Amino acid sequence: MTAPEDRDIDALAAEYALGTLDADERAEAAARRQREPYLDAAIVDWERRLAPLLDNVDAAAPPEDLFQRIEARIAGAASPAATPIAPSMPPTPILTAGDDPRRARSGGAQGEVVRLRRRVAAWRTLAVAASVALAALVGVLVYRPAFVVRQPDQRYVAVFQDDDKAPRFVMSVDLASRQVTIRPIDAAPAPANVYQLWIVAEELGEGPQSLGLLDGVDRPTRKTLAHVTPAALEGALFGISLEPPGGSPTGKPTGPALHGALIPMSTGGE
Amino acid sequence: MTPADLARLLDRIAEGDRAAFQAVYDATSAKLFGVVLRILRDRDVAEDILQEAYVRIWDNAARFDATKASPITWMATIARNRAIDEVRRRRPRLSDDAEALERIADPAPSPARQAEAREDLGRLDDCLKALEGERAQMVRLAYLDGLSREELAVRFGHPVGTIKSWLRRSLMQLRDCMDL
Repeated sequence: MTAPEDRDIDALAAEYALGTLDADERAEAAARRQREPYLDAAIVDWERRLAPLLDNVDAAAPPEDLFQRIEARIAGAASPAATPIAPSMPPTPILTAGDDPRRARSGGAQGEVVRLRRRVAAWRTLAVAASVALAALVGVLVYRPAFVVRQPDQRYVAVFQDDDKAPRFVMSVDLASRQVTIRPIDAAPAPANVYQLWIVAEELGEGPQSLGLLDGVDRPTRKTLAHVTPAALEGALFGISLEPPGGSPTGKPTGPALHGALIPMSTGGE
Repeated sequence: MTPADLARLLDRIAEGDRAAFQAVYDATSAKLFGVVLRILRDRDVAEDILQEAYVRIWDNAARFDATKASPITWMATIARNRAIDEVRRRRPRLSDDAEALERIADPAPSPARQAEAREDLGRLDDCLKALEGERAQMVRLAYLDGLSREELAVRFGHPVGTIKSWLRRSLMQLRDCMDL
């Protein structure tokens, strides 16, 4: 800890751990620690030094149902030890595996993936043909199937809609920050039901994995998918299903679902 | 639940053990909620952040390293970092409030803390006491209440630049004191 630049790194780590960096500085430090082990180690040291102060914080009981809400967000994202699929679970309109014999073991994920990938291929063709700008999105929403519109800088958009109905949700994804924003367009769940977001990506294991509940139909939901790599996100399929309060009880979609996909495109188009 | 118990449960969480996750949640959620609520001062927002924190704990349990941090420090740090991210993103919020001052006026430590932590806190407390004037209070307000430099500047009546350099100097002094 003698070189001036070491001192700078330690000072940055200290202020990061203390929490007094402004939003931009903080985001930059968070990004740097991912690729600078020295900075990361310095931050961990500082977190350890300051953490005893947390003993001064009074405990506060979170609401009773909070753990269920957390479980809904991790549902399906677990290892094979996770909740098994109930064999009697009704098939969902979107993620139906047909007679795939593997369904009993895995929820028919492979069949779903194959089936959905075919749809992606169709969407890709359409999306490339359409090649519409985001500004035109509203104008094209009336067409089906879902258009997927590329924006600059690794941003993607997918549209969720019933086969013959108006779009229900539009989702935008920023691959770099792994942030997704789902905006309800014309979605009205039955009273007491909730919408749950799902992802199908080979990297995450078989079958749809829960990405948690949407915040409601009157405002956008934002999520940071820290556990999904940009590559997996790019090729993933997404579903939004209608579920009972608290989310799917089985860890897999149980209600009617809408689907959408982000189409990976090269910078110059395909 | 001892730190060793929590560390074993984190190992099981890394393998996808939901029962272990529930046990860890039951043992730690009130503490973590207290941490984020104090910074965010809004129950709804704090609930969202607490959810995100536990999702991260679930996702990252395999990265927990008992040689670097105690389990509760590791978890509380995840929750606190998310809360600070959020509060910085949501600026500006009210720059000063009497409630936070009251809390600082009565920094009585919780009797429930662990012996191991007590020793660490004792040392940190001693080093904080060695800081000049109001600087220990600035560090506490920043760390526990999530105050920004600007909010500290308003509260203590100094320019932001002065606060910044004081914080920096205080932190270096703390490090030297604690690493002795």
